[in-house]
Amino acid sequence: MHNTHQADIIFGLSPVWFSGSLFVLTYVLIVTEHLNRAVIAMMAAVLMIVSGVLTQESAMQGVDINTIGLLTGMMIIVGITRESGVFQYLAIRSAKVVKADPWGILVMLVIVTAFLSALLDNVTTVLLIAPITLLITDTLKLNAYPYLFAEIFASNIGGTATLIGDPPNIMIGSATGLTYNEFLFNLAPIAIFILLVTLIPLYLIWGRHLKAEPELINKVMMYREIDAIKDWVLLKKSLFVLTLVMLGFILGHDYGLQPATIAMFGAALLLVLHCLPHGQEKQTQMVSKALGEVEWITIFFFIGLFILVYGVESTGLLEMLAHKVLELTGGDKTVTAISIMFVSAMASSIVDNIPFVATMIPLIKSMAASFGGSEELIPIWWSLALGSCLGGNGSLVGASANLIVAGFAERSGQPIRFLPFMLMAFPLMLLSVLISSIYVYLRYFW
Amino acid sequence: MKASDVMDPNPTTLKSTDTIECAAKYIMEKRYRNVPVVDENFCYLGMFGVNCLLKQVIPKSVLMHQGLHNVSFIHESIEDLYQRFDEVKHHPISMCMNNEIPPVRPGTPLTETLLQLYEMRSSIPVVEKDTCQLLGMISYWDVGEKILASGERQDA
Repeated sequence: MHNTHQADIIFGLSPVWFSGSLFVLTYVLIVTEHLNRAVIAMMAAVLMIVSGVLTQESAMQGVDINTIGLLTGMMIIVGITRESGVFQYLAIRSAKVVKADPWGILVMLVIVTAFLSALLDNVTTVLLIAPITLLITDTLKLNAYPYLFAEIFASNIGGTATLIGDPPNIMIGSATGLTYNEFLFNLAPIAIFILLVTLIPLYLIWGRHLKAEPELINKVMMYREIDAIKDWVLLKKSLFVLTLVMLGFILGHDYGLQPATIAMFGAALLLVLHCLPHGQEKQTQMVSKALGEVEWITIFFFIGLFILVYGVESTGLLEMLAHKVLELTGGDKTVTAISIMFVSAMASSIVDNIPFVATMIPLIKSMAASFGGSEELIPIWWSLALGSCLGGNGSLVGASANLIVAGFAERSGQPIRFLPFMLMAFPLMLLSVLISSIYVYLRYFW
Repeated sequence: MKASDVMDPNPTTLKSTDTIECAAKYIMEKRYRNVPVVDENFCYLGMFGVNCLLKQVIPKSVLMHQGLHNVSFIHESIEDLYQRFDEVKHHPISMCMNNEIPPVRPGTPLTETLLQLYEMRSSIPVVEKDTCQLLGMISYWDVGEKILASGERQDA
């Protein structure tokens, strides 16, 4: 239990009941999407304080500044880097490498999407890749659906591979102290394997039927990817900073540097390099633009959720739930890990995986004593990461990236419908979770 | 002075069922930038203009919300552009009418009318209050001619 003011709770309500009810109500409101999710989370956070469950000071302790800093820093870096045109260059180059063969393009876009999702974040990645995909499929007169479907999967699978790839991993890494390298060594191999396996059904269902006229293929081959690079100087600065940041993630832990510090350092350094040659007025414009690239809705959603979950945790409710989970799994670590993976996958395919993981983190931490210390929880953290990230593929609402791709599909006149998507995606998601559970079992429990 | 004092009461109009091809030929021939679209009862529906035509020949992925903002790598010919136009030329103009130009009322004061003309960067329709009846159009030229004519009268 944390520093709370439960004696001052309003209307004499039990803190457990109040925070539990507020938590459930917040979840319902987030799922029904009648109100912006950041507004819901902020209101819930404020109610936790006003009701007396938390003080303002203790609420601030609940905000994971490492997650917020890492997300904000990376958003600024990616926002500036994208202006150079490097991401478009990569996408077009990848299409031309395979001579604009329709199936080859799909495979290459899947690889690029997964790679960028692992290095940046999957929402930014699909925002960059989906418009190019639509341009290419439009030129080749192909249905964009298989490509967009594959990119949704690639973004969520790629995001699973690293600490910074997907918000659940960022939260898990921050809460547990697991390093970038640990995520890479434990999750990247299985993410690559799942990506390759996923391509098989995609080929059987769509890939082998994808054909385009030679003159249309020529049109794609006429794209001059080098012209996509709009600012060579910015490209060099961005790649320099991105390399430093990646090195920082890999080596920084040994020097006591948290991922948020590294990402914010990268953002600050890139802003300095980007702004330095310009006058004060232009600099103000450039900084405004760079900060405008930050998805403040996501940031405030996180802040609100952290406070809400901290409030629930402070009442001891999550600890009680953790004991219930352990009762259900008979206190067996293997059963607990695999169950958490499947439950996370199911939940993440229906609701946003961010609030789910925010809730699961303190719940799993409460199990440390039962399993003999926090070191023993490590396989469970990998199970949570795999379940919550891969679960996002289960339905159209499973991850923010899915909804962004669906938005592009809608605007291009080739909408992705909820049910047809789920009929294909859910079994594929289950396959990926099944593979992950075998992997976790063999690697950590065998 | 009011909007009705500077409007052209007999504007050229298009019907929402006219095809894009037909409308395109018309506005190209007459060099119109925007033409009001009305129904069979002369009810104002929106504007059709050169921007709609441009929109049809630029790749969709460029103009859509959050679309490609960097198109420097695309090198297309006039034939490529025509192919895109060819795919939509038989569609009715209602598919790309501009509804974002709010009409003014006949009694709207001149300065407010001019501000709207300036902000919209397009001729603006004058529509009867409480109905959708198109009464006239106000273009830069209508207003400009009246201002210059006033100056000439003062000089004389």
